[in-house]
Amino acid sequence: MYRIRFHGRGGQGMKMASHILGTAFFLAGFEVQDAPRFGAERRGAPIFAYVRAQKAPIKERGIISHPGLVLVADESLVPLPAAGILHGVEETTVLFLNSREGGAVWKARLNFPGTVLALDLIGNDLNQPGGQRFFGAICAGAAAALTGVIPEDVLMQAIEDELIHVEAIVVQENKTRARAAFLAMQDKAGIVEEGSGVKVDGYRRPAWIDVPLDDAGLAAPAIHGRRTSELMKTGAWRLRKPVIDTCRCKGCWWVCSTFCPDSAIVVESGRPRIDYDHCKGCMICMVQCSSHAISLVNEKEEVSGE
Amino acid sequence: MKITDSAFKKPKDLPGLHILSAGTSICAGCGGLQAIHEILDILGPKTVTVNAAGCMSLLSVYPFTPFSGSWLYTAMASAPAGAQGVRDALDRLLATKKIAADEDMQVVVLSGDGSATGIGLSATSGAIDRRLDFIYICYDNEGYGNTGQQSSGGTPHGARTTTSRGEQGYCGHKKDLFSIWKANHPAYLATVSGAEPLDLARKIEKARAIKGPSLIIAFSPCPTGWHFPPQESIEIGRLAVRTGVWPLKEYEDGKVVHTKIPAGRLPVTEYLQKQGRFAHLFHPGNAYLIKEMQADVDAYWDCVEKSAATGR
Ligand SMILES: Cc1ncc(C[n+]2csc(CCOP(=O)(O)OP(=O)(O)O)c2C)c(N)n1
Ligand code: SF4
Ligand code: SF4
Ligand code: SF4
Repeated sequence: MYRIRFHGRGGQGMKMASHILGTAFFLAGFEVQDAPRFGAERRGAPIFAYVRAQKAPIKERGIISHPGLVLVADESLVPLPAAGILHGVEETTVLFLNSREGGAVWKARLNFPGTVLALDLIGNDLNQPGGQRFFGAICAGAAAALTGVIPEDVLMQAIEDELIHVEAIVVQENKTRARAAFLAMQDKAGIVEEGSGVKVDGYRRPAWIDVPLDDAGLAAPAIHGRRTSELMKTGAWRLRKPVIDTCRCKGCWWVCSTFCPDSAIVVESGRPRIDYDHCKGCMICMVQCSSHAISLVNEKEEVSGE
Repeated sequence: MKITDSAFKKPKDLPGLHILSAGTSICAGCGGLQAIHEILDILGPKTVTVNAAGCMSLLSVYPFTPFSGSWLYTAMASAPAGAQGVRDALDRLLATKKIAADEDMQVVVLSGDGSATGIGLSATSGAIDRRLDFIYICYDNEGYGNTGQQSSGGTPHGARTTTSRGEQGYCGHKKDLFSIWKANHPAYLATVSGAEPLDLARKIEKARAIKGPSLIIAFSPCPTGWHFPPQESIEIGRLAVRTGVWPLKEYEDGKVVHTKIPAGRLPVTEYLQKQGRFAHLFHPGNAYLIKEMQADVDAYWDCVEKSAATGR
C-alpha cells in the first residue's frame, strides 16, 4: 500500500494536493483513501493531508503513522514540532521538500533515515499574492512521479476533475506547476515503494512517545485568566515578516498598530514595536505605512543566512 | 453626542495598546478581527462577549482567550438570548449589591452576518422588543465564513461563494440588516469599517454611552473567503467606502445620518476587481451585472442626497 503524507500550511493547497493525488490513483485503477487533518486554526497554521492507495480494498484507517512518502510544501514547517513532519519516518521513507536547498543538505541537517529529495519550484510564488496556493500542485505532481504508477495524462485529468469549479486560467497554472514537478522527478520515478500491509498479529505497538513538556502556564492556563491567548505563539504561522526601519518610521498615529488585526504591534512612547512571537505575517502593516518604513523579509532567507 | 464631545477628535487619540491580545487562531489578515480589535479597544476590558457560532468562536477556544472579560459561546440562533441572561444576572448582582456599580460590565453579542441576518434574527427581535441593554456586533464577512464561505443572508448579489458557483454568482440580494433593526426602533445603530478607525471609535463610544439595544455592523474583508491576498484587507475596506458600496451611517433618535459621504465616488469596479469572488463579473457576458451594481449604489446615494436636501 502507498502511504503518503502532505504537510503544509492552511492556504497552501495541501488538501487539494491529496485530492488530486487520490483522484489520480483512482483513475489509475487503485482503491484510494484521502483525508485532510487540521484543527480549528486558519490559513497559515500547519496542516497535513494523507493518501492511501493500493489495488485491493483498503482496510487500514486513521492517520498514517509510517509513511512511504512525506511531502513538505513549505520548509519553514520542518522545525515546528506541531507540524509533525518527521513523525514515523523510517529508512524506507522518502522525504520531498519544496526547497531551494538540496536534498543532501536536508538529509544531513535532519539526520533523516531515508532518501531526501528537494526541488525548487517555488520561484517567485512565495512573494506573489496567492502564489502559495500552487504549492499543492507542485507536491501532487512530485508525488505522482515518485510513485511511478501514475502517467502524466492521468495526473492532468485528476487536476481537471478536482478543479472543476475553478477558473480555467488557475487550472492551467496548477497544471503547469504539477507537470514541472512531475517531469523534474522522472529520474526518481518509482523510488517510493508500496509498504506492506499491517496485520493484526504483526502489529507493532508504537514506542513510547516523549511529549515535550510544556510550561504549566501553557499546558494548563487559568481559565479565569485574562489574555491567555498570548501563550499561543502564532508567529510560527509566518513565512514572511515585516521589519520596521526605525529611521524611516515617523511615529505617525500608529497606523501599523491600529490596522494590525492581531494586536501584534504595540506602541511604546509613540514608537511601534512588532511582536514577532505573534505576528502572522499578513503584511497589512507594510502596505499601510505611508512612510514606507516597513519592509518584507522572507523568514527562509533568514534561516539559510545563518 | 457631537464630535466635539468625543474623546476621539484626531487619529492620535486612538489607542496604541490593545485590549484584545494576540495569539488567536483567526486567519492572517482577517478584516473581521481587525475591526473587532478596534471596537474592543474603545469598549474597554469590562466587556462580556456572547458569541454565536462562527469564525470568531475561534477567538476563545478552551483554555485560551484573548479577552480580559468573560466569554459565553452560544448556538448560532441564540446569542441575544444568552445576552439577556447575562444582563439579567448582572442587574440582579447590582440590585442586591453583590457587585458595585463600577464592576458592571457591557454585554456584547458577537456574531457573523449569517447569524445576524438569518438564524439569529428571531432571538434578536425578541431582545429588541424587551429593550435589552446590549450591543450587537455583527462582523459582516458576507457569508458563512467558518464553514467555508457558503452564501448567507449577508452575501451581495453576484458574489461567488462555495454554494453559488455559477457564472452569475449569488442570485439573492444582501439583506439590509440596518433597516431591519431600524424598523424595530433600537437605541442606536451604526455601520463601521476597520479601515476608518476614527469614525469607528466615535460610533462605539456612542453605542457604549447609550442604553438599550444597539447594533454595530462592521465591514469585514475576508481574505480566505473573498479571495484576495491578506495584506489587502484594509485597502478593500477603504475602497468599499470610497466606491459607496459600504455606506458609513448611524441611526439615533429616529434619524439616519451618513457620517462619511464619499466625495467623487470611485466606480464600483475599483472595489470589485481586487477580489477573486467577483472575478467572473469581468467576463464578457456579465457586464450587465456590474452595471446593475453601479446603478444600485448610485440610486442609494441619490436617495441619500435627496433626503439630505429635503431634511427627511
Ligand atoms: C443551527 C446551526 N446550523 C449550522 C451550524 C454550523 N455553522 C457553524 S458556524 C456557521 C457559519 C456562521 O456564519 P456567520 O454567522 O456569517 O459567521 P462566520 O462564520 O462568517 O464568522 C455555520 C453554518 C451551526 N453551528 N448551527
Ligand atoms: S505606520 Fe509607519 S510611520 Fe506610522 S508608526 Fe507604523 S511604522 Fe511608524
Ligand atoms: S504582518 Fe504586520 S499587520 Fe500582519 S500580523 Fe504581522 S505585524 Fe500585524
Ligand atoms: S474565514 Fe474570513 S472572516 Fe473567517 S477568520 Fe478567516 S479571514 Fe476571518
